[in-house]
Amino acid sequence: MAGELKYAEAIRRALADELASDPNVVVMGQEIEALGGVFTATQGLAESFEGRVLDTPLAESATVGWAIGAAMAGLRPVVEIMFMDFIATAMDQIVNGAAKLRYMSGGQITVPIVIRTPSDAGTGHGPQHSQHLETWFAHVPGLVVAMPSTVPDAYWMLRQSIRDDNPVVFVESKYLYFRESGEIGPESRGTAHPYEARIVRNGHSVTVVTAGRMVAESLAAAESLAVDGIECEVVDLRFIWPYDRETLAQSIERTNRLMIVHEAVQDFGWGSEICSWAASELFYSLDAPIRRLATPRAPIPFAAHLESALVPNRTIIESAVRDLAMH
Amino acid sequence: MTTPEETPSSRSRPSALDLYETMVRIRELETRIESLHYSGKMHGSFHSSMGQEGAAAGVIGCLRSTDLVTSTHRGHGHAVAKGMSPTTIVAELLGLQAGSSGGKGGSMHLHDIGCGFLGENAIVAGGVPWAAGAAWASRRLGKDLVAVSFVGDGGAAQGVFAETLRMARTWGTPLLVACENNHLAHSMPVERTFGEPGSIAAWAAGFGIRAEYVAGDDVFGVHRIAAEMIDEVRITGRAAFLEVEVWRVRAHSLNDPDYRYLPRDLGKSHLQTHDPIANAERSPELSDAEIAAARERVTQEIADAIEAAFEGQAAAESLATSGVYTEAFEREAQLRGW
Repeated sequence: MAGELKYAEAIRRALADELASDPNVVVMGQEIEALGGVFTATQGLAESFEGRVLDTPLAESATVGWAIGAAMAGLRPVVEIMFMDFIATAMDQIVNGAAKLRYMSGGQITVPIVIRTPSDAGTGHGPQHSQHLETWFAHVPGLVVAMPSTVPDAYWMLRQSIRDDNPVVFVESKYLYFRESGEIGPESRGTAHPYEARIVRNGHSVTVVTAGRMVAESLAAAESLAVDGIECEVVDLRFIWPYDRETLAQSIERTNRLMIVHEAVQDFGWGSEICSWAASELFYSLDAPIRRLATPRAPIPFAAHLESALVPNRTIIESAVRDLAMH
Repeated sequence: MTTPEETPSSRSRPSALDLYETMVRIRELETRIESLHYSGKMHGSFHSSMGQEGAAAGVIGCLRSTDLVTSTHRGHGHAVAKGMSPTTIVAELLGLQAGSSGGKGGSMHLHDIGCGFLGENAIVAGGVPWAAGAAWASRRLGKDLVAVSFVGDGGAAQGVFAETLRMARTWGTPLLVACENNHLAHSMPVERTFGEPGSIAAWAAGFGIRAEYVAGDDVFGVHRIAAEMIDEVRITGRAAFLEVEVWRVRAHSLNDPDYRYLPRDLGKSHLQTHDPIANAERSPELSDAEIAAARERVTQEIADAIEAAFEGQAAAESLATSGVYTEAFEREAQLRGW
């Protein structure tokens, strides 16, 4: 496993390794066969795994429904939804099908599918190709929501998700696909349970809980703040559901301050859930009001300067954390 | 009574009496369920398939036990025809532990994997891609089975329905879509959406798959064409479409004020003219003695099934939050307060 890979390559490697290790894995999606995926995540796989990496018509709802049926019959389908915004066209099958079938059937049916889909602003794709919608799925009982921020996590979390018997919505970072690189390294699965969060930087001043590409932004902000003696503890949530309360609680009990940073719209975003949980459960550990920093209530605009004016970045995070640390 | 005939792709065919008895079983069960609702012993939603039994019995009568079926919100008949136990169904409708999901699903969410009944789906047309995907995957896994997906004329207007037919044509899958055109998508007459009977089949043919129409008040006619089509689907692995015209006797659901959009007594008049059970009884295929014996047998069977179901216990309230995720996941969730 030596050698650096890009985030997109890590996804491809995870798919290849699962295709190789489990004959029941199939990959379905649009433009994934000959083209190899618009972000190259499946490049070459159709040739290496004949008949198992398959182009679908432009029909997300039927594709997810088809994958559910295939899972009922014993396969482990991985579906690629080209941009997360497009997942709206498949909502019924995910929410009313995949998520509820185990419950509705009294445990007779499991739906081991993974729905991979890239999100993020920062790439000039405009309002219908950039929105972070992971909160929708975190709200639905029956789903697991994964959001890797690094190369090893992209690789190991995808492999874990394909092996998960629960349906997983796997939110990839299209901003990081070709910007983030690293080594896959040894398995980065949690030691206590599979959905562990990870403390990626230790600090005593403020706990910054984040995920996806906002992890790198938060780490950059933390480095600047350290110059002034403000030491952030940055927690990469990794899974939006289930979210790892133990790791969060341990960190918040050390720092007594909590900042939540995400790219999804702030109102009713997953930060609100963590904020609410922390306010209820860790009230006496908190020395300051909990802060959320997220995208304001607007679609993601196309123009680069408008886009960057909206979405949190290292500068905005730095300033917000400084305020919180001084509170 | 006809004798079961051997074909290359199906071990045995049901007799005329089998088809008749399945219809009577569905009718008797649903009639008794209706009474249980009216007497206050059952609660919740219930969509009767009275008058549509010819489609369930005729089509599913062509299937093997290993073949797969998906259904709709109006799916008790499909479940019964595929072999699901009436006791399990009634227990589920009563919300009891012995039901197919211990009362979590209810009337519109019957599932019985053991007999190939992948399940109902209360989202109109939502089960069509399930059947397509399950049939496709089974074929890849080396199983010589087919799937039938029931859908209504209402479901034929859904996007996922058209998407699935397109995908079935593109990928190939041993699927028969059985579209029960009961003339009404809740209150919307099919004449306003698709047109005259047969027009849904004509539309489906545009997807490049074989599509046929058959009148559903003749169970033997349904069975003949369905058997031929299912044989073809099994051999070729290509999807096909069968529009079965049926006549909805009851309101859309138990509490639906259908008098607002239908002439009063239209349902009853359907039973005078298009009842698949009465039509079968008038056919030369069945003798009076066979009919009487079948009715007696089924009446007793359903009475026993209901009695047995009532002996069951309610599931513990604590189970309401369990079975959402896998057992391993839920153990962690309990431990860690997720």
